[in-house]
Amino acid sequence: MTETALTQDFLGFGLGLRTNHFDHVLNTRPDIDWFEVLSENYMVAGGKPRYYLESIAEQYPIVMHGVSMSIGSTDPLDMEYLTALKKLANDVQPKWISDHICWTSIHDVNSHDLLPLPYTEETINHVAERVRTVQDFLGRRILLENVSSYLSYKDSTMDEWTFLNAVAEQADCLVLLDINNIYVSARNHHFDPVTYLNKIEPKRVQQFHLAGHSDYGDYVIDTHDHDVPDSVWDLYGTALERFGAVSTMIERDGNIPEFSGLEQELNIARDIAIKTLPGLQTHLDGLNKNSNRNVFDGKS
Amino acid sequence: MASLKQTQELFMAYILSDKSTDNAQDDKCSAFTSLITAKSDEDGQTRLGIYASAYRLRLIETIETDHEMLGIYLGDELFDKMAQEYINAHPSSYRSLRHFCDALPPFLQDDAFFSQYPILSHIAAFERRLLNAFDAEEQSRASFSELEQLAPEHWPESRFRFHSSVQIFKCQSNAVESWQALKNQQTPPQPDYSIACAWLLWRGEERLTEFISLTEYQLVLLEGFLQGQSLAQQCELMLNYFDEEQAPTKVLQAIRAWFEMGIIRAIA
Repeated sequence: MTETALTQDFLGFGLGLRTNHFDHVLNTRPDIDWFEVLSENYMVAGGKPRYYLESIAEQYPIVMHGVSMSIGSTDPLDMEYLTALKKLANDVQPKWISDHICWTSIHDVNSHDLLPLPYTEETINHVAERVRTVQDFLGRRILLENVSSYLSYKDSTMDEWTFLNAVAEQADCLVLLDINNIYVSARNHHFDPVTYLNKIEPKRVQQFHLAGHSDYGDYVIDTHDHDVPDSVWDLYGTALERFGAVSTMIERDGNIPEFSGLEQELNIARDIAIKTLPGLQTHLDGLNKNSNRNVFDGKS
Repeated sequence: MASLKQTQELFMAYILSDKSTDNAQDDKCSAFTSLITAKSDEDGQTRLGIYASAYRLRLIETIETDHEMLGIYLGDELFDKMAQEYINAHPSSYRSLRHFCDALPPFLQDDAFFSQYPILSHIAAFERRLLNAFDAEEQSRASFSELEQLAPEHWPESRFRFHSSVQIFKCQSNAVESWQALKNQQTPPQPDYSIACAWLLWRGEERLTEFISLTEYQLVLLEGFLQGQSLAQQCELMLNYFDEEQAPTKVLQAIRAWFEMGIIRAIA
């Protein structure tokens, strides 16, 4: 990979594209800066999913987000999956492609979950090597997202943020920070989420996810089926102070509300960003939705 | 220190174990629990339980979504029995949950308990066909006028290529009628295994999945064309059902209807 500027342009404020909003988006063309799509949902030959994706991709910037790369698994990389991912990317021309720093399957059995990895040198080397292979195959850097976790391993020799930084640096990949996942893991593992943010290397952070969770007191479960709570909004403000303007989206996976409900949440994110980052409003006003955006890092 | 591979194998074994029936659960649990950080046994069980529960809930939700009418037909108790036993028998080997239930029809057909009620397997198979039609590859569709524009001498050797969503579903029960009743929030009829039924499923130009029943001659006609038989061959075949005057008319009527339904993508 060439060593040009690491992160790509600031896309603004986006939403995860969900099936029950297909018609609304296509018919009303809401004022959303971009959409994130779940790659696996569109790895089908045709039908409604592909029709809507291709129609919406003609009107909005799209980024692809996957859940099945299983980058941390000790199984061989699934080249059939990667081939399908590359084909989808060729069809959709996403701004970027992301997945999670986790494992999902072993011996060809899939948990359909984002399972945590032990934070060791062995794992760093293993994951970074696989990320490099994937990036070479796709011909682009990918983003890796931090996952929520409910357990930690005795074998871990470092903090999660140290592990994430090390993999990103060694693999020369980018980072998608899920602010909610940081909060969830911080509660479950009793660390300070602000410390997490402050330890992450800013130059590789290209996207934020915002989401809600279920709070059971002793444990917090990452359900992505609630509105973004105040605790996550607060952490988002802190993240903006550290990382500047980073393409931000609301990720809702369950209990999905009317589209207007997600727009309202996105407006909250935009308002927090405008208050936190001087000059962002002017930049947003100048965004031409149909052209490539200029870089705005919010730190100048 | 466990290797990454050992850690993942133990984690997956724990997730896959059926906590209600698996006697080896304690061993699997303790083997993996020894690798994780926990304040107490209870704390460790809770943390592991989050992953194990999520696995089963996610798969049950997939079965419910893909096989909604089958679920209603079974009722909560039998659906839960089917879901748990299917999950135990078929750990997901797919990266997409879209295919997790592909083996549900044969499971229901072969399982000692559920095979007592063959209609269950038939309903499941019909719902799989609906899903296949839903996301089959999009292809262009030919119109009847293209056939009309062919010189008459080319008609006898004409063959048809069908839209990728086209599927034929055959069963020896009133499974589809039961599915329709449930879809319309009505009580399904009693299982009837006396009649062989055939159905054509496809996705129309408006991207809606549709299906119609096929009579015996329609089934034979369609299957022949799907197998690449020519118009002349199929007209001849129809002499088994109609006289010489009626046979070509019936064939033409059927073909015209198929063009209107949008299931023919090309004339070869």
